Amino acid sequence: MVEFVVNGASVSVETDSSKPLLWVLREDLEVLGPKYGCGIAQCGACRVLIDGVSSFSCITPVGSVAGASVVTVEGLADAEGRLSIIQQAWLDEQVPQCGYCQPGFIIAVTALLESTPRPTDTDIDETITNICRCGTYPRIRRAIHRAAAMLAER
Amino acid sequence: MPLLLSRRAFLLTGAALGGTALVAAVGGVGYLASVDVDGLDGYVDGDRAVLNAFLTIHEDGRVVVNVPRTEMGQGIHTGLAMVVAEELDIPFDDRISVEFPVEPLPAYASWFNVLQQRPEEASGPVVWVGRRVLGLLGFIATGASASTMALWYPMRVAGAAARQMLLAAGAARLGVPVNQLTTADGFVRHEASGQSLSYGELAREASVLPPPNDPPLKPASDWRLIGRSQPRVDLPAKIRGEPVFGMDVVQPGLLYASIRHAPVFGAQVARVVNEAEVRTVAGVRDVAIIDGRQVAVVAESWWRAEQAAQRLDIEWAQTDGDGINSAEMSVRLQAALGSDAPYENINDGDVEASIANSSMSVIEKTYEVPFLTHACMEPMNATVIVREDGTAEAWVPSQSPLGVRTGVQRGTEWGSVEPTSITCNITMNGGAFGRRGDLDVAAQAAFLATRHRGRPVKLIWSREEDVGRGLYRSHAAARLRAVLGPDGLPSAYDALVAAQSVIESVAGRNLPFNPGPNGDRLTVEGVDKLHYAIPNRRIRSQHVASHVPIGLWRSNGFSFNTFFTESFIDECALAAGRDPLDYRRALLRNSPRHLTVLNRVAEMAGWGSAMAPGRGRGIAIEECYRSVVAQVAEVTVGEDGVVTVDRVFCAIDVGMVINPDAVIAQMEGGIAFGVTAALMSSITLESGAVVESNFHDFPMLRLANAPEIEVTIVDSGLPPGGAGEPGIVPIAGAIANAIQAATGRRIRSLPLTTTETIAERRTRTVLPTSAV
Repeated sequence: MVEFVVNGASVSVETDSSKPLLWVLREDLEVLGPKYGCGIAQCGACRVLIDGVSSFSCITPVGSVAGASVVTVEGLADAEGRLSIIQQAWLDEQVPQCGYCQPGFIIAVTALLESTPRPTDTDIDETITNICRCGTYPRIRRAIHRAAAMLAER
Repeated sequence: MPLLLSRRAFLLTGAALGGTALVAAVGGVGYLASVDVDGLDGYVDGDRAVLNAFLTIHEDGRVVVNVPRTEMGQGIHTGLAMVVAEELDIPFDDRISVEFPVEPLPAYASWFNVLQQRPEEASGPVVWVGRRVLGLLGFIATGASASTMALWYPMRVAGAAARQMLLAAGAARLGVPVNQLTTADGFVRHEASGQSLSYGELAREASVLPPPNDPPLKPASDWRLIGRSQPRVDLPAKIRGEPVFGMDVVQPGLLYASIRHAPVFGAQVARVVNEAEVRTVAGVRDVAIIDGRQVAVVAESWWRAEQAAQRLDIEWAQTDGDGINSAEMSVRLQAALGSDAPYENINDGDVEASIANSSMSVIEKTYEVPFLTHACMEPMNATVIVREDGTAEAWVPSQSPLGVRTGVQRGTEWGSVEPTSITCNITMNGGAFGRRGDLDVAAQAAFLATRHRGRPVKLIWSREEDVGRGLYRSHAAARLRAVLGPDGLPSAYDALVAAQSVIESVAGRNLPFNPGPNGDRLTVEGVDKLHYAIPNRRIRSQHVASHVPIGLWRSNGFSFNTFFTESFIDECALAAGRDPLDYRRALLRNSPRHLTVLNRVAEMAGWGSAMAPGRGRGIAIEECYRSVVAQVAEVTVGEDGVVTVDRVFCAIDVGMVINPDAVIAQMEGGIAFGVTAALMSSITLESGAVVESNFHDFPMLRLANAPEIEVTIVDSGLPPGGAGEPGIVPIAGAIANAIQAATGRRIRSLPLTTTETIAERRTRTVLPTSAV
């Protein structure tokens, strides 16, 4: 039994503690926003926030998040369903193409802007290492700067 | 009813449709011919009114547009919903939703892909028969950048016809002549009395009216949506992380499966050495050999299934492919370039005589590209249930419902089950790029489902299976020859392409017939360069068989041939001492459409302006998918050989544009896809098996290496062309030409650079030290 918090709700899961958090979220909890892309912490489609830190849920044993707070892309909108500023920037810039990798990008950027509210392009290059096969990179960069500007005005 | 017609029903329906179609054929290219004959009569179902095959209106005003094409990121659901909304006169807002229709109506058939005639122009007996046959087969596929070309007109007609039916219903309700009514923003209005009725109120009455023949279409001057960027209808759900992909399908009682394919393609399973042991792993329900060729583990969790699959000890039978490596494949391709009897695709003028009689020396260059994989971000998957009552249902991220249906038929046949019906649900695709037209995954899942009747089985390939056991872009080579005339332009151009035929491989896996490798136009597309004024031209091809399965891959032959030809044209320009842009201008003197695009991209890039040492610019152009696309790449090559693609300029004449922002996105995405192929990735063979297995050794572009991209849409006023693939096509040639400009070095094989890891998930690309 592992107990932790997912998007604000306490959960307890009866499972093997070595099962990756990604598969616990997807299979045991039906939290389907985090995606399986590579399974080896290369692509970032599985990224979630664990106590605010952007993490690869595909290589994180669920046992290691006992007592932690996990936020997935589903947990970013507010209680009324309004998109987070980063999600709104994603919509404004019409970033996604197929969209499969985007939850991981949005999570990674959420963590980046928390620690670095006005990131430079170098900050972005060093931090946002996710893969998007559709090639939405120019729009991702624009959306990050847009979100940073929106956060600064808030 | 989302039920598959039985074969007998096919015949009966065929006869009935044939009779109606005869009437329509006489009627011409109007509504009946393009929509209704192959479509659906209107009907009422609860609070919703189905007006035709493409359109449903709910009582509360919500509009559902049926788009029978796969949304895989290209924005087709939005573009085609826009044309319906345009003609229907409704705002493009969140009251519009798009569904991929479950029932494979003949109106949805992808006959344009086969017959290559636009619906608005199509006529004649071949079209008439072809449409009916492909419609009754349920041939629905998304590919060849064809969806807008195929459906923009029929779906406009569908929207316009529904509007006419709503007007007629309004006239009947208000008791006024229809010509006193107008429509706007989803209402039928009677100006004189000030009365108005919403479409939602009228839809049910409208749906049972006879559809009009030849409804008037809005003139372009009245368009308020077409040609103006609209937000994608599918993005809010994707940004919220809602479950829209095949991977996200959840059904009661779901079982999960993981799979192992033979490392050497085509090998049979000789024995699963430790089957009994794997069966005892916690959560494992089944270990199954599929078609003698793959081994799957079925469990209550995919993680469990994959863990157990990792423990499988499988003996594979020996095959002829066991000893093949990439070097051997190269030798075979080079040998094929010396073939004395290649297939002759084009022979205009007299190439041999022109070369023999020239006093100039022949320019002859050889180029080569490796196998590549699609690496869709969503790994391959399919969910299938075979119920106790004999019905089957599939949920698959697929480019082809026909492929899914055929796959389920094949897989259930392996399990000796004949489903009484097969329902195919096409989910959002997390990338596709040609990979998801094949029936393989659906067949495997269906077979597993026959072993677990009444429970849905979701088969997921691990990333390692996807990269290492896929269907690949051909390893290909070409020998290009030319002699230059007194003006420095080629007077003769002779091309020979050696590659494994895509069509032969795809047909072998998916179709009941095989047209064979000769004359496969996907092998030579991009080599003919018909828009270049060259008096003598010969195009030949040589199929080189291998044990490697070849798949459709975004832009197919163009992905390598345009690299070959646009590199070669630069080499000819260099030999003639001419600027590559001026050289192409001279070659395009008879092709004003191409010349416009070329000049536009040159202007965007500031062609001819000075660049710093170590920097260079390269240009390339192609006509493909009825569009013309040109790109200029700007690269920097450091003293350490590190290559950076700094900026890419792209001009695209895609004909008439429905949703400009979607076209721009496709160019951006195509360029990224093409930069990965040009600089970074390859699939290599060792002892018959693929070496690469995941994103650490099949590197792809990331944010840090992504170039800045500027796109301009050139408006030629022509009918719509394709946008999904052209963005990739010129980029490798443009980059190779830019590297030549920067360094004086010509690289004739892809990838142009080797990828080095500089930190976790960060790479740089470096020129080989011994480039020719």
